Amino acid sequence: MSAIELRAIRKRYPPREPGLPPQELLQGVDLTVRRGEFVAVEGQSGSGKSTLLHLLGGLDRDFDGEARVLGCDLRAVKDAELAALRHTQIGFVFQSFNLLPALTALENVLLPDFFGAGVPDAERRAREALQRVGLADKAGSRPAALSGGERQRVAIARALLARPPLLLADEPTGNLDAKTGEGVIDLFRQLHREGMTLLIVTHEARVSHAASRVLVLREGVLHADGAEAVETE
Amino acid sequence: MRIGKLIRLARGNLVRELGALAVSAGGVALGTGCLVFFLALGAGLQRVVNDVFPVSTREVEVVVPQLAFGSLLGEQKLDDAAVAKLRAIRGVAAAYPKMQLRIPAVTRYNGLFFGKEIRMGLEVVATGLMPELVGQDARMPFGDRGEGQPIPVVVNRRLLELYNKVFAPQRGLPPLVESNLVGFQIPVELGRSFVTSRTLPDPQETSMVVVGFSDRATLAGVSMPLAAIQRINRRFGADATGYSSVLVRAQSADDVSELAAAVKRLGLEIDDSERRSAVQIGAAVELVTLALSLLAALITGLAAVNTMQAFYASVRERTREIGVLRAVGATRGDVAAVVLAEAAATGLAGGVVGVLIARGAAALLDRLARKGLPDFPFKPDTFFRFHAGHVAVGIGVALLAALLGAFLPARAAARLDPAKALTES
Repeated sequence: MSAIELRAIRKRYPPREPGLPPQELLQGVDLTVRRGEFVAVEGQSGSGKSTLLHLLGGLDRDFDGEARVLGCDLRAVKDAELAALRHTQIGFVFQSFNLLPALTALENVLLPDFFGAGVPDAERRAREALQRVGLADKAGSRPAALSGGERQRVAIARALLARPPLLLADEPTGNLDAKTGEGVIDLFRQLHREGMTLLIVTHEARVSHAASRVLVLREGVLHADGAEAVETE
Repeated sequence: MRIGKLIRLARGNLVRELGALAVSAGGVALGTGCLVFFLALGAGLQRVVNDVFPVSTREVEVVVPQLAFGSLLGEQKLDDAAVAKLRAIRGVAAAYPKMQLRIPAVTRYNGLFFGKEIRMGLEVVATGLMPELVGQDARMPFGDRGEGQPIPVVVNRRLLELYNKVFAPQRGLPPLVESNLVGFQIPVELGRSFVTSRTLPDPQETSMVVVGFSDRATLAGVSMPLAAIQRINRRFGADATGYSSVLVRAQSADDVSELAAAVKRLGLEIDDSERRSAVQIGAAVELVTLALSLLAALITGLAAVNTMQAFYASVRERTREIGVLRAVGATRGDVAAVVLAEAAATGLAGGVVGVLIARGAAALLDRLARKGLPDFPFKPDTFFRFHAGHVAVGIGVALLAALLGAFLPARAAARLDPAKALTES
């Protein structure tokens, strides 16, 4: 069974200036990702990688085409159902960490527990997640007191709290030094081995090397790495 | 989203934005403080009015109409038969006839008055009351002791207040309390007048003894037992059967309007001059309180606008965070709830501080009044009356103002496009 199925996805943005044509960032993207697969999507800056990720996460529903994530038709479900999907089925990791500065590391990891029906046994899971990313001793620290690598690991721990089957990451090593980035990539490898489906948007080769499949987003269309083919299955 | 988690999430943001939200809370506190202050002032002044004009909602004073056809023909009279008719009206609990002293009387006092030598001459105006009406206010027996015996009198408490605050300071006399005067005897000469220089045949020298102080006693003079007034009027050939008025007490306040209609059907009238004064002054106090409360409401409204601006700014600053909340599973409603919870906390803090400001300002004003204002009659210990309702209104209005102010920003936060929010720099 597929974790992700996209068919003929098109995404337009309004023209930047009057008189110019609308920008078509995704021009008919087809993609199938099997459960347990680790897929890296490469592309130049502004190629639409983040847009694709937001679309997969149900954060952006303004597109044409058919999109199913974990069996959920993203255009057909209601807003609350999408929120529930993000809450329990999808973990997000962002390039700029996106931690809430007013909360401690532990509270940031616990953030998904604040919403919906919460997360079962959330505090224990949060501490375990922090331990897993090597930050058990930083539970009470606020983001301002953490290094970039530590912040990203807290963000990963947050994404893992609800033990989602799908992890979406947007340039997760983009703001990290080489050594810290390696640690994060190792963590992704480990999650992949445990059966988690990962789709990571990146422009770094070291991340792509860890993936089981690499795709390139070019001129609004997904290509298999080093090929011109559109079909990616 | 559970309330405990909502509070935890809101608390973090509140702590971070303490400065900006303190300004909003300060505005709400100012408006709420003014509102509670003016409401308490209105209630305090209303209490003063009630003290000066004690009006019972169950009682009416029945009199003979001044221009009634019956009275012109000499038929309309408040005698025992009329009192019996009044008592027979449905809903009447009791009727107490009153009678004026219908002959002139004077008092002359030459001698020591509580340590001060005085010479005083006054016309005596007296009203007869039934002892049941005075009740426990009389500390000594309030009944007619017969001719040649001292006549017991009760004095209105407001007269004692006027004596202490106006008369005594002007004449250098000592201030008095009720217990000083109970048992005090004053000579009185019945059948003589200083004003008209008229003396009735066979005037009588006797005395009055103060037996108590009562709000039931007349404000114009002293009140004697009804039987004593009737005896004196009869002795000097004045009307001793027609009453000046009858105080009618209804079984409940709800019966009063029906009672008033029945009184009119009997060809009698209700003298509500004192009640009207109390109502008019009370209405004036209410009007001023209302105007000041509206001013306070305006301040609170401005505070709500300020809160709106503060929360719009806060939402703009936290756009990316709101995107994160949506990414981890928050619904639009959750996002709105977080903003409104922060507003509620701001309003609650503003309300509590506002109530404290009002209490402090009232205490300060009372202190200034005690020291700065002359000791005028009926000067209250406090011009304010705070009760739980004022606190509830103050905090409720503060909460409402903050929530209303934050409503649009909360809606804007809920409607943020999460994908755009996450890319906000």
